[in-house]
Amino acid sequence: MRKIIAFFFVLISLNCFSQNKQLLYNFTSVPQSLMTNPGADFKYKYYFGVPLLSGFSFKTASSGFSAYDLFANDGVDFNQKLRNVVYSTSRRDHAAVNEQIEILNGGIKLGDWLDNKGYLSFGLYQEFDFFSYMPKDLAILALDGNQNYIGKSFNLADLSVKAEAVTVLHLGYHKNLSEKLIVGARGKVYFSGFNATSTQNSGSIITTNSNTTVYNQIINSNLELKTSGVSKYTTDEYDGDVAGDIQKQMLFGGDLGLGFDLGFTYYPKKNTQITASILDVGFVNHSKDVENYTLKGYYNYQGINPDFSNTDDPESIYDDFREAIPLDTLYTKYTTWRPVKLNASYQYSFGTATDEDCVCIAGEKSYKNAVGAQLFVMSTPRTPITALTGFYRRNVSDKLHLKATYTLDSYSYTNIGLGLSADIGKFNMYFMADNLLEYRDVSKANSLSFQFGFNFIFKDSNEPPYSQ
Amino acid sequence: MKKYYLLKITCWAFLIMSTFSCSSDLNFDQVNDLKLQPVVEGNLSYFNVAATDFLADNGSEYNLVLDSQDFDIFRDRYLNDYLQKADLHFEITNTINRAFKADILLLNDNDQVLYTISFDIPASAGTPTVISKMEIFENAKLQLLKNTRKLQFALTVKSGPAFNSNSTGNLILRSSATVYLEIE
Repeated sequence: MRKIIAFFFVLISLNCFSQNKQLLYNFTSVPQSLMTNPGADFKYKYYFGVPLLSGFSFKTASSGFSAYDLFANDGVDFNQKLRNVVYSTSRRDHAAVNEQIEILNGGIKLGDWLDNKGYLSFGLYQEFDFFSYMPKDLAILALDGNQNYIGKSFNLADLSVKAEAVTVLHLGYHKNLSEKLIVGARGKVYFSGFNATSTQNSGSIITTNSNTTVYNQIINSNLELKTSGVSKYTTDEYDGDVAGDIQKQMLFGGDLGLGFDLGFTYYPKKNTQITASILDVGFVNHSKDVENYTLKGYYNYQGINPDFSNTDDPESIYDDFREAIPLDTLYTKYTTWRPVKLNASYQYSFGTATDEDCVCIAGEKSYKNAVGAQLFVMSTPRTPITALTGFYRRNVSDKLHLKATYTLDSYSYTNIGLGLSADIGKFNMYFMADNLLEYRDVSKANSLSFQFGFNFIFKDSNEPPYSQ
Repeated sequence: MKKYYLLKITCWAFLIMSTFSCSSDLNFDQVNDLKLQPVVEGNLSYFNVAATDFLADNGSEYNLVLDSQDFDIFRDRYLNDYLQKADLHFEITNTINRAFKADILLLNDNDQVLYTISFDIPASAGTPTVISKMEIFENAKLQLLKNTRKLQFALTVKSGPAFNSNSTGNLILRSSATVYLEIE
């Protein structure tokens, strides 16, 4: 019991996610921008990422509290800090972690230099996701009990949590339909390492004063936890390496799913760009090693009440309760939907690099500066998460690109991010981090993310291959 | 030359970031201090016996009524461990013109009496007689409650005006428990 509670709070306090990659999105000097928009305006002859190092991203976010609030080494009793956090947050506050690591990533232009047959990109990455709302009412009940809350209905729907690890194999294609329009799509196959989902909960626990018995006490429970790929690790007999076994399971033993990304880039004018993408429209079908636990039922607790007129068998409250709200284990398959992400941007470019005689180079690369706005929306078990970003992009040279962002979301109003992409010969590296102001003290941050990676990019050129 | 320029910028950027970045002293081991101390209010017991319930079918009077109920909440190993203290609150209201003795017996698995909670209830003279009592179970006494598996309720009717089918009034018990748990 204690272990479970401790694990839960540690997980939450990792300050975990939202998958908003506002720096990477449309940062088209980095190949990984294709992962946030399959229709990004990224041209290449071919590229490949340094295996395991081409793309690493980590994002943690929690609205309402930070790791510092819970774990500050300040002599204050941990239980008091926990209580402060629980009481200062609402059921809408949440904690999230998202971690992605690219194992392989590459792309190639189809056809030769004159052809417009489009570009392929493909790869394999692993992703870990955790998302939990603040289970406020349950936390109050666990911390303080119902003594001071006679009349309050504790909402069991406050419990909404999910965690999963998937390996994603993907193949994307994008093509210039015209000089103004680029469209792209990416198909994805998900291999689920494990999944635990408890997001469809409802019910209540309520104690009110009564005229007959002292209290009227009703538990109306509709709780469900679905798991796949987990049960074998929780048995007593298991003594293996959990991390290693889950890794294997993520590729070979796990459940399968399918999904897709779509996106486009459109230039209404040469200096104006509109993009949009929808990512991870997909599902995973959980059928292997499934164990679903339910606590469903209705129980009205009236006490241990004698009945002097009948000499019936004594009733057992304990058994009554277990029969009314039984803990059942089911083995039925289930399907989970991937969190869908929506990105959109508007960009205005200005300041040409070569405004002397010839402004004849096509595409945005001829501009030194760009400003614009981005919108990010992601589905969650309840209302979607939204973030709005303003950005400035500067192409310092052909080889050095910078992007600065200011993002408004439910985690903070002071999220400033900086991204950098540099080419040294064919070698490309990028680093991006947001919430830079929070780096003054990361433990107090509500949200942090960073991404980095290394690639080799062989640029698409308008020149014949052997003319250089 | 240009390459050095790039490297320089990159290095500076990270140097600046790492210089300004810091973290307050965090101690994740504090999780081990986690101690939940909920205080739970719950019903304990209730009965409502009418004066006429003490009349047998043949018109004679029961002077003792008994009933036993299982009390197996603390059969649960976890609850048994978590329980630190329990306050049992009782309120008996008598509107019958007879006095009673009420006993609540805490029995273990072998039906041995571990503890008895007794009430002397005076007769009602037109207005309800209300008796309140609180029993606190903690320390050594708490172990008695933890070992309890059955509650026996016994009502003894004391002498007074005989019951008949027109006798009025009720004997009502309302009882609740305040349970102090500690989960580590």
